[in-house]
Amino acid sequence: MEISNLNYFLDPSKRVYWIFVLSSIIIALIYLLLNPKHRKLNFSKALWLHPSALLDYYYFFISAIIKLMIILPIVIGAKEVALKVNQLLISLFGFTRVYSFSYLEVMLMFTFSLFVFSDFTRYWLHRLMHNITWLWEFHKVHHSAKVLNPLTFYRVHPVENLLFGFRYSLSAGLVSGVFFYLFGSLINVYDILGVNVISYIFILLGSNLRHSHIPLSYLSVIENILISPRQHQIHHSRDHSNYNFGGFLAIWDKIFGTLAESKNVGTIKIGIQNKQMKNYKSILNIIFFPFISIYKKSIKSLH
Amino acid sequence: MKRFLLIFALFIVLPVHASTEKFYQQVMIGNAESAVKAAQELTSAIQDSNQIPKKEFQELIFSWKQVEATYILSSLDGEYFELPWYLDMFHGNNEDIKVQLDRILRGDSNIENALYKNSHKTINALEYVLYSYDLNSPRVKSALLIISKSIETRLLDILNGYKAYQEKFVSSRKISSSYLLNALVESSYKLKEWRVGDVAGLTRKYKEKANNKRAEYHISGNSALAIRAILLAHMQAINSKKYDNFGDFARDFEADKEIDITIDWLNNSIEIVGKIENDDLTGDVAEELYKSTSHLQDAYYLSLMNKLQFVSKILDADGD
Repeated sequence: MEISNLNYFLDPSKRVYWIFVLSSIIIALIYLLLNPKHRKLNFSKALWLHPSALLDYYYFFISAIIKLMIILPIVIGAKEVALKVNQLLISLFGFTRVYSFSYLEVMLMFTFSLFVFSDFTRYWLHRLMHNITWLWEFHKVHHSAKVLNPLTFYRVHPVENLLFGFRYSLSAGLVSGVFFYLFGSLINVYDILGVNVISYIFILLGSNLRHSHIPLSYLSVIENILISPRQHQIHHSRDHSNYNFGGFLAIWDKIFGTLAESKNVGTIKIGIQNKQMKNYKSILNIIFFPFISIYKKSIKSLH
Repeated sequence: MKRFLLIFALFIVLPVHASTEKFYQQVMIGNAESAVKAAQELTSAIQDSNQIPKKEFQELIFSWKQVEATYILSSLDGEYFELPWYLDMFHGNNEDIKVQLDRILRGDSNIENALYKNSHKTINALEYVLYSYDLNSPRVKSALLIISKSIETRLLDILNGYKAYQEKFVSSRKISSSYLLNALVESSYKLKEWRVGDVAGLTRKYKEKANNKRAEYHISGNSALAIRAILLAHMQAINSKKYDNFGDFARDFEADKEIDITIDWLNNSIEIVGKIENDDLTGDVAEELYKSTSHLQDAYYLSLMNKLQFVSKILDADGD
């Protein structure tokens, strides 16, 4: 992994890959052309140079070092998980091979399964980050952003990075292990520049606008299937943070009763309670305050 | 400009096609040709003499096991899926062909009609009749010729199949190498579990119940030979100096380290097979071989896992 997050802009596997940023800018400009009332806010210095935004920018660079030094050495790789899953299946059910699908059919099934299962686990980990008290202390870092910009995506506490790293390895490893067991070497992914084609298309279609003030919403019927940028912005509001946990797909929110459609939500206030915001105003705050808060709450609960 | 691009593309594509084609011709077609030739020689030997044609039978086993270890014809065309079962019933089904063959050979019905099942015409059936009956008996000899000619025909089907699908194999190195790796992984599993572990009492199924009668060719004492043939076929596939092979293909997706480890375990396993005495697969040497082939199988999986580079490029492992 690169030491500088500047490489993120050149890496197709990152949300801020330049093509994704460019596509989001184009979509945003079209949106603003059609909706002039949003231009003032989106072109204002107050938004882009807001202390919360500045903190996002600084933290974006610091987080690369944190990931390199702390997260990567700990997180087990998806390959290792896949190997273990495959070995476990062989020991439980013996060696088997499914020959009834072609190389391209297996590739299609694998690409789709990886995407869907990964999105499903994202939904649940994200939901648990909100619903379990001590996890919420870490996830609050992300929700402490007062204004949203594409780099807010990286305003994530290292503990959350770690958990999402494990989630990724376990989910991708599990799906890969099962497919390896059934199809062996036939598995492959439809990709663009090495990235799952489904993810690539979704990101290209403006995922960077999720963390922005472009309230782009979809038709109601689509918002029941795919999470729109507006739906994620609603998730970042104080009053609706327990809705719209989905990554790309809205179907998990729909199934598990946490979906909020854009048409049903009026004005929103981004962030967490005002009195809590003061605890996340510096990089040191962001990193250490969750631990302090958990410690204090633990002590309190003991008495 | 167009002409330049076309010539440039041809220079890139042709060497890849040529190297894949050479591999296919030398390994897939070459081994099938050897097996057909061995079957023909065995048929002739049965016709010409009343002695057990031990050498010819060993040649057949050796060449067939090499074909079987890298059998990808069923991946190229599903119609060829069952063909190996018509030739070889080791772990194929629970039929006791010995009882059936005894009944047929001791009976007096038309021998051609009596040997109506595919399992009656497998290499396993051939081994049993060759090593359990007197070749001076005309009925036994007729049975052996029917079986060996059937084997010859089946092997010829495989050879013709490979010839027919050469272009398909050569045209997509990526897909072809996946088929081949699958065949090698499957073969390494069966080698470890069925041909060594089950016999030596090292598998869960036969834990501490070693029995050499479970060995693939225990009647003729050619089980170690079969194992050696399989391992050498793996070597042909991943580490031959004569042509670009799967080892080179695997290096294409940056599996250098993994494929080197695989070659090391393969060499180690071949060396251990050489130590087996009297075709006995129940002792310490067999245990050593079991461990080595376990490592070999794991090494194949690790090479295979290298294809998972794409998995590490899934977007958004960061949170939301």
